[in-house]
Amino acid sequence: MDLELTDGPGVAVPVHVPRATGPWQRVHDDLAGRGHAVVHTTWGEWLPAALAQPRLRRLLGRDWTRYRRTPDPTVRYRFLASRLLIKYTAAAALRVPPEALDLAYRLGGRPYLPGFDQVDVSLTHTGDLLAVGLSRLGRIGVDAEPADRRMRFDLLRAQMCTPTEAAELAPLPEGRQTAETLRLWTLKEAYTKALGQGMRLGFTEFGFSLRTGRLQAPDGSPASRGEWSFATHPVQGRYLLSVARHDAGLDPAHDTSARTMLDPGFLSLMASRPR
Amino acid sequence: MTTGTLPASARGTPAGPGPAPPGGAERADHYERLLGDPDDARNPHGRAALLAADDRRETPAATEALLARAGLAAEFVPRELGGRLTRPDVLARVLRPLFRRDVALGFGFGITALFGASAVWAAGDDGQRAEVAGRLLRGGAGRVTILHHELAHANAILRDEFSARSAPGGGFVVDGRKDVVINAGRADTFVMYARTATAAGPRSHSVLLLDAAELPAGALRRLPRAVTTGMRGSSFSGLAFDGCPVPARALVGETGDGVSLALRTYQVNRCLIPGTVVAGVDSVLRLAVRAATRGRDGGLPARRWHAVLAGVFADLLACDSMAVTGLRALSLLPDDAHLIAAAAKLTVPDLLRENLEELSTVLGALGHDRGPLYGGFQKLVRDLPVAGLGHAGTAACLAVLVPQLPALARRSWLRTDEPPGRLFLPEAPLPAFDYRRLSVLGGEDVLVASLVGSAERIGALRPAGPAWAALADLAESFVTEVRALRAQCAALPEAARSALVDPRACMLAERHGLVLAAAACLGVWLGQDGTGSFLDDPAWAVLALSRIGRRLGVPVPELPDGVTATVLGELLARHREGRSFDLYDAPLAG
Repeated sequence: MDLELTDGPGVAVPVHVPRATGPWQRVHDDLAGRGHAVVHTTWGEWLPAALAQPRLRRLLGRDWTRYRRTPDPTVRYRFLASRLLIKYTAAAALRVPPEALDLAYRLGGRPYLPGFDQVDVSLTHTGDLLAVGLSRLGRIGVDAEPADRRMRFDLLRAQMCTPTEAAELAPLPEGRQTAETLRLWTLKEAYTKALGQGMRLGFTEFGFSLRTGRLQAPDGSPASRGEWSFATHPVQGRYLLSVARHDAGLDPAHDTSARTMLDPGFLSLMASRPR
Repeated sequence: MTTGTLPASARGTPAGPGPAPPGGAERADHYERLLGDPDDARNPHGRAALLAADDRRETPAATEALLARAGLAAEFVPRELGGRLTRPDVLARVLRPLFRRDVALGFGFGITALFGASAVWAAGDDGQRAEVAGRLLRGGAGRVTILHHELAHANAILRDEFSARSAPGGGFVVDGRKDVVINAGRADTFVMYARTATAAGPRSHSVLLLDAAELPAGALRRLPRAVTTGMRGSSFSGLAFDGCPVPARALVGETGDGVSLALRTYQVNRCLIPGTVVAGVDSVLRLAVRAATRGRDGGLPARRWHAVLAGVFADLLACDSMAVTGLRALSLLPDDAHLIAAAAKLTVPDLLRENLEELSTVLGALGHDRGPLYGGFQKLVRDLPVAGLGHAGTAACLAVLVPQLPALARRSWLRTDEPPGRLFLPEAPLPAFDYRRLSVLGGEDVLVASLVGSAERIGALRPAGPAWAALADLAESFVTEVRALRAQCAALPEAARSALVDPRACMLAERHGLVLAAAACLGVWLGQDGTGSFLDDPAWAVLALSRIGRRLGVPVPELPDGVTATVLGELLARHREGRSFDLYDAPLAG
């Protein structure tokens, strides 16, 4: 049951990448052809290789200290696997070795790749699932929850629903209502993560039409001119993974590799200056 | 209205809103008043009218006509050619009233004309210079546009290029097509960066100055409108040249000068863009303050918004410090300004985009409003990526910065002398700027030099109080970061001529850009010493450097008590009293 909510050109189906060695071809194809890609895995799949990394400290960069200081082994290993997943996914897109990349954080906590703004990244984890979104068109946000998580509309309504959403959800039968509430929650998380703000942006300040899939102001008026696409996909048989992606409309290059990004004309002129 | 000497340029213009005064501050004020109260629904140049034009995908005709009557295009013409362009920092200041209202207007009826004309100002012969000056002065800024060559990782605006092959008997034959060129439908003067050599390298392109009226019928085709997400109202469309003969006198400079002219003139653009789009973010911050204070007792926003509003204001001042420093360096240090220019263009649009996202939390549902009160927010969210050109714009700056890093590390950082103090004084006089003097030959990083000097001076001010001590700690953190950058950049391989060799260099260039932003803040803050103004207070510099430091991941002290409150207090006062949120603290209309 793929639930595509979109007033833009849609969202690619998430790709399972079971290990650091890939396969990455679908990611390359989605990124070039559709402008974005979504990768998912479980941290258990990535951990053995992560722990066997001879250059772990270099690979983690400024996250090394946080990794070392996290006392709970589950949290620590999930943190390690998630950072490697971002780095390997980005490295595949940029066609560089993962240790050549630095992972930094915006003030709001969103991860990014300093020096390489050809791709935006977003990370989510829940249970043993890890997922990374990658886009060359604009901001991207991903959020996952266990598919069987019961989100009670009556308890969450005031905290997360606009009046328009509440009016759509209220008449639904309970099972459907709970499922739709969960889906809505992950979409809202994905959207605010795409903006790099998380829950600092109030969930009742924007909404979705469950029927048409459009981003809306609380009063139900359209809040996007087609720049945003949203989708919710089931993954690993037990999670819901929602994606929000923005297209800034610049129609950027399909090529995201680092090696080709510096203009040869400018480079050759700067390199030939007298010293 | 202030009266002044009638500039030569204004004599030929139709009866209009009166002559522009001679001084930069006075001219900025002149345009501000001319455009009037943005919130007045009856103002044909107010927010409602500009948003409505954007909604209809039209250029704001009434406002363009007003600016044409006011002789705005003279701002882009050097004074010796009859215009009013004397210094880039003055130009950016004068244009801020346009950019506060509509960034797309500032581009489409403003600086893109200069982006084109600048190659002629830099390397044109007397006839070419006079001709382009005359066209701008008589016809307005929409008449001249730039036809970029294709850069690496090009987006729609930079994609594709024209070629010019030598014609038997002299001159050139031009072919090619570009689909997304601003003002392509209405300009009659094209400054074209055409490929003139098949091989890549520093002499692959040449600049041609083309007059549409002189081209043979059918050789130039104007293609349909290109519909864009950002700057929706701007007139982007395509151009196709099919075997178009061009006379030899169209060549600007020498054959093969194109890449060099691009690098020399783009440094002005790279400072002007940050130095004008800050004004767009000024307006959006104003919307956020309005949203946060409406209906609040005493006009004080809810506590949860204090840090965001003060933080974005501090970032805006940091971005402006970097932009104004770069703009002033173009006049004062024409050999070395290219480094600050590329760093400012790399750093400022990125920080401003982050600021818009932060402000979306304060605006909440109002951030989606399309009405005249808050619609400017979504408009800037759409327009800002076009202004900065996204990754392609970044990559073009990195192509200038990355090859310099090893040499900067080995020869300049922690060695170069400090620049003159007036680099950092927004109101201080400067030598006249001359496009012909610009070069990319210098290799001195004067901002890093100034950072080291600033850190020493601020260290001596520690006893003045907790904010001074925090600023001293921050300055030390950035100097330590310079040492780390020096070690890492010195170990990079020498620049290659055709491709990125070590990808880590891009990350290091980005870190260097943030260090320069911090250096510019400290320079501007120290320059205000003794003025007793808000900018003389360490609070804004502490907040700005803390935020830059957190982005870099360097040690940042806890914010001393009162820092956020001081910065927020100034923001609210400027909002109440109608003053700009930039370094100039200018009075606003309305």
